[in-house]
Amino acid sequence: MAHKKPGYHGVLLDINLTTGKSSPKKISSQDIDMFIGGRGLGMKILWDRLKKPGIDPLSPENPLMFMPGPFSGFPIPSSSRTCVVTKSPCTSPLHSSYPFASTVSYSNVGGFFGPEIRFAGYDGIVITGRASAPAYIVIDNDRVEIREAKKFWGMGTDEFDKKFIEELGDRRFRTCYIGPAGENQVSYACIIHTAARAAGRGTGCIMGSKNLKAIAVRGSMIPDVADHKQFLAALEKANQAFKGISGTLLTKIWRRSGTAVTIERSSKKGSMAVKNYREGTFSEIDKIGADAARKFWIRDFACFCCPLSCKKSGVIKNGAYAGLIHDGPEYETGTMFGANLMVSDLEGLMKAIFNGDDYGLDIISTGNVIGFLMEAYEKGIIDKEFLDGIELKWGNIDAILKMIDKIAKREGVGDLASKGVKALSKRIGKDSEKFAIHVKGLELAAWNVHVEPPKGICYATSNRGACHQSGNTVEAQNFRAMIDSIGICRFTTDWGHWYLPGLGSDNFSRILTAITGIEWTKEELMKSGERIFNLEKMINYREGFRRVDDNLPDRFFEEPLSVGSEKGAVLHREKFSEMLDEYYKIRGWDPETTKPGKSRLERLGLSFTLQDHQI
Amino acid sequence: MGNMNNYKIENPDSQMKYNRRDFIKKMAIGGSTVILFGCRSLAQPSGGKAKNPLTYSMILADYSKCTGCRTCETVCSAYNHKQMVNGEVLPGLGNPHYSNIKIYSYNPDVDIPVACAMCPDNPCIEACPVASDPKTGRKALYRDEKTLVIKNDLNRCTGCGNCVEACRDQRAGVIIPNPETNKPERMCTLCNGDPQCVKYCPYGALSFVTVSPGREFQGVPADMIAKELTKRWYSIQN
Repeated sequence: MAHKKPGYHGVLLDINLTTGKSSPKKISSQDIDMFIGGRGLGMKILWDRLKKPGIDPLSPENPLMFMPGPFSGFPIPSSSRTCVVTKSPCTSPLHSSYPFASTVSYSNVGGFFGPEIRFAGYDGIVITGRASAPAYIVIDNDRVEIREAKKFWGMGTDEFDKKFIEELGDRRFRTCYIGPAGENQVSYACIIHTAARAAGRGTGCIMGSKNLKAIAVRGSMIPDVADHKQFLAALEKANQAFKGISGTLLTKIWRRSGTAVTIERSSKKGSMAVKNYREGTFSEIDKIGADAARKFWIRDFACFCCPLSCKKSGVIKNGAYAGLIHDGPEYETGTMFGANLMVSDLEGLMKAIFNGDDYGLDIISTGNVIGFLMEAYEKGIIDKEFLDGIELKWGNIDAILKMIDKIAKREGVGDLASKGVKALSKRIGKDSEKFAIHVKGLELAAWNVHVEPPKGICYATSNRGACHQSGNTVEAQNFRAMIDSIGICRFTTDWGHWYLPGLGSDNFSRILTAITGIEWTKEELMKSGERIFNLEKMINYREGFRRVDDNLPDRFFEEPLSVGSEKGAVLHREKFSEMLDEYYKIRGWDPETTKPGKSRLERLGLSFTLQDHQI
Repeated sequence: MGNMNNYKIENPDSQMKYNRRDFIKKMAIGGSTVILFGCRSLAQPSGGKAKNPLTYSMILADYSKCTGCRTCETVCSAYNHKQMVNGEVLPGLGNPHYSNIKIYSYNPDVDIPVACAMCPDNPCIEACPVASDPKTGRKALYRDEKTLVIKNDLNRCTGCGNCVEACRDQRAGVIIPNPETNKPERMCTLCNGDPQCVKYCPYGALSFVTVSPGREFQGVPADMIAKELTKRWYSIQN
């Protein structure tokens, strides 16, 4: 056996569902040094495996990867994240010679799955092929089994979560799975973990296309580190970030309300998705914010080694949904099924969130799609017949629940709606693309952009389509690509700003140096982030994505906010275009084509991408 | 019905005797009618009752505060599974697999830390077939006279697995056989009087306190505690 790199097992678990065979595959040492793990290493594998543009994301060739990072499995605060990496089923370029052209897809999920992959002795799981019948995978250290999942097919994620762990017979297995939405290949289906956490943005559709219901992992190993003593010291230092005045303040805020703390704040600032992004402020926001939800919250729960416990679960005590147990609302779920659909009935909102999660739908995209249909219906562009008789009016929770059913089952109007807002507006026509709120085919999330032009840059240039997490600046994008690769949660970081509480680049470089034995500086970390972002871009570029695809829906340029403290706010096309020019300049990309420059790619060690004759 | 598992509950609210097998049966049959010993608080600080021979100190969990983050598992493992690095003994890297305390998480969210309950009637020691040493009075599995933790004498232990079975069948199933030697592991060591899980729990959910036996949930398997707490916390019938 070749020499293993400290901090890594140096091994990927490669599973082919078509043949039913699995084997450990060595990871090249150079790939580890350059792409770290998680999102970065996943992207390198995606590049290597796809080999050419235009591969159908739903084909057996498209790899579905579960990628922890080098921090995963070590007791570093919130080293809990797994990055699911694949080729997106949601996106498409305006022009391309490949019918199945799409962007990269990655989605980061917390909980316990990533650490357990590492405990089982792997730095990642790569799944290709397609099972001939519904299947699930059990990974128990070096024992890998593919089992029949027929009896679970069609089961909602909440019930499945309970039944599956019973079937496995040990609660120490960590599982992730899809619901009916993933099985039915709704393009924006999720992969769910612990019935409460999700890898979204279409990853569940890919899992469904492989006939794969679930994966269970259990393990007993942990990699060695290069410098044990230095690691313990770096760990001690990292833990200090959550102590003292600022550290305690940070943990207090997260523990009190989780991401829901921003629901009311964002509405006040005019930065919320309201009424299909027509507005940024919702007059009834106090009815669905954290303070309203607190009355039914019962418990805080946390991911692996996390001091923040941002998740809240509770039970609805009265009304039509009395007895409903679920977690949330969080900022995204509460806004997309709440303010964006003008829903102020908190109990109804929780029912919608539960159903969305139970079906395994991405609630961001689902809320966006339903908001689009509501607006089209209000404007008379579509009629009730088009909606299969559903009275899809703003705030009507019963109608929303019916639409969620239709989408997950792909029945009637739900079949078209399951393909996303871009496909819907294309079918409906009549200028509806002006309020089809997506970039490259992926729906925008719960942050509106009228009042925050840099957020527009974030959505427009994100490599997976309209992603709110990508970063508003080049620096933020590089920082986040790095964070997603080491396997840590962004909420515990200082977001790249030394003056904010949380873990900073000095912590990451110290810990990663101790783990790997390679001298990681802050600059080298940021350079890796840049390298990863550029590799993603090169995959997208090869598929045919150009500047014209880095665009925002017309709404943000043509319809100023009409209510709230930021009334009148709107984006200016020219200014936005100048911001994009500036963005490409900093990136070292051609402003006309968005092709990354040769010298930049060489500096980042990505020359190999230029040798591809298809670019 | 053996009386091996019976002991008196030192709690003013309840003077009943209980047998855990009965208890498990009752829980299984009609969960909703079972009152769990009538105790109101989890910890029963001893106060002036130091003379009580059954009073001892152990790790106690406040289930309402536990978030399931498993920090306790990592620090327990790091302390109790030290590593020799360049001739120096250092804390381990915290692999949760080797932790003596374990978190069991449920849906709806309930997180149950499970550590050795140091049961006063120690069914594990009762089950140990190794004859008592005439000098020390110890079987292979024995109770440390000072800290009252359960320890195993590796030299005398035969790896028969009786203690593992006793813990599994009669209590929470904390004791696990070593996969190679079959000798018992995972008994709480109390980390030389400074339990790391208590020290590092970010949520203050664990405490090292003096308790009286017969507390609610003492030695009860995680599944059953979770079932009861789910009912209490998530039920809307109250």
